[in-house]
Amino acid sequence: MVAGLKEFTARVERNGVYEPVLDAENGEELMRVQPGVSIVLGNRPPESPGTLYISTKQVVWLSDVDRAKGYAVDFLSISLHAVSRDPEAYTSPCIYTQIETEDDEDESDGSDSESNGVLDLSKITEMRLVPSDPNQLDSLFEVFCECAELNPELIEEGEEEHNWIFSADQLEDEAIGDDSEWPVPQNLSNPIGQSNGDHDLARTVLELQINDQRFEDAEEMEHESDSDRH
Amino acid sequence: MLFFSYFKELVGREVTVELKNDLAIRGTLHSVDQYLNIKLENTRVVDQDKYPHMMSVRNCFIRGSVVRYVQLPPEGVDVELLHDATRREARGG
Repeated sequence: MVAGLKEFTARVERNGVYEPVLDAENGEELMRVQPGVSIVLGNRPPESPGTLYISTKQVVWLSDVDRAKGYAVDFLSISLHAVSRDPEAYTSPCIYTQIETEDDEDESDGSDSESNGVLDLSKITEMRLVPSDPNQLDSLFEVFCECAELNPELIEEGEEEHNWIFSADQLEDEAIGDDSEWPVPQNLSNPIGQSNGDHDLARTVLELQINDQRFEDAEEMEHESDSDRH
Repeated sequence: MLFFSYFKELVGREVTVELKNDLAIRGTLHSVDQYLNIKLENTRVVDQDKYPHMMSVRNCFIRGSVVRYVQLPPEGVDVELLHDATRREARGG
């Protein structure tokens, strides 16, 4: 299930530097370390100084001063990430993230995450990461993208090559002599739902196929009218 | 795969991505992958009053699993191509 934000305190000292303990046995690797990063949870004040660690599975922030303090969120729980630069939105340029929480349906305005002064991390829906060097934002964004792509939904069947399309040229190249430009899923009952669980989209496809008159075979219809005339 | 193939055709066009948490973001489709993760550029939030903090965001990565709808540009809907694709699908490939 979706875990949301959680505390993270497992750190190990390596050459005098502390690093988060990762799940190396399951292939988790550190992709990026960014010192000098403040973290902002929801509408709370920033916490700093700290270091940001981006692994193939999660985003970890560890306080530089309090060794018992750290946070982590799995890429599976990060709905959206973006670079935010407008001072009107937030005083400092940052990586802005939205975090999927267990009770997303409930209307939460951020204040829910704190009751009686105790912070409930699992209800935090927004997190900002503010590097002291704003020039790092774009490369951090790219690492976020890269790692998010490594973490698709868990229900996966038939892994396929990861294939971003960036320009129309690529599309044209593909289209030439490629009859499978529009691949046909064999299992019509769930053509794409298996990859992202979005059954609404799958149903839309089925309705298009079944009900839409525009998709009837024009050639066959012409043949019919021809034979009527004879 | 039909939607992945179809969205690839829309790269470079303006779309509106509506998330399951009701946030709707309009922007230029930069790229899409097989999981329907979507990257947008030149984004703007549709309901800026409700989400003022998102106003400044110019590019973003949206996880495919949190997308509810993608609103398409009418001129980006190639009926002939869809016609072909769905017909092939109906014939079982």
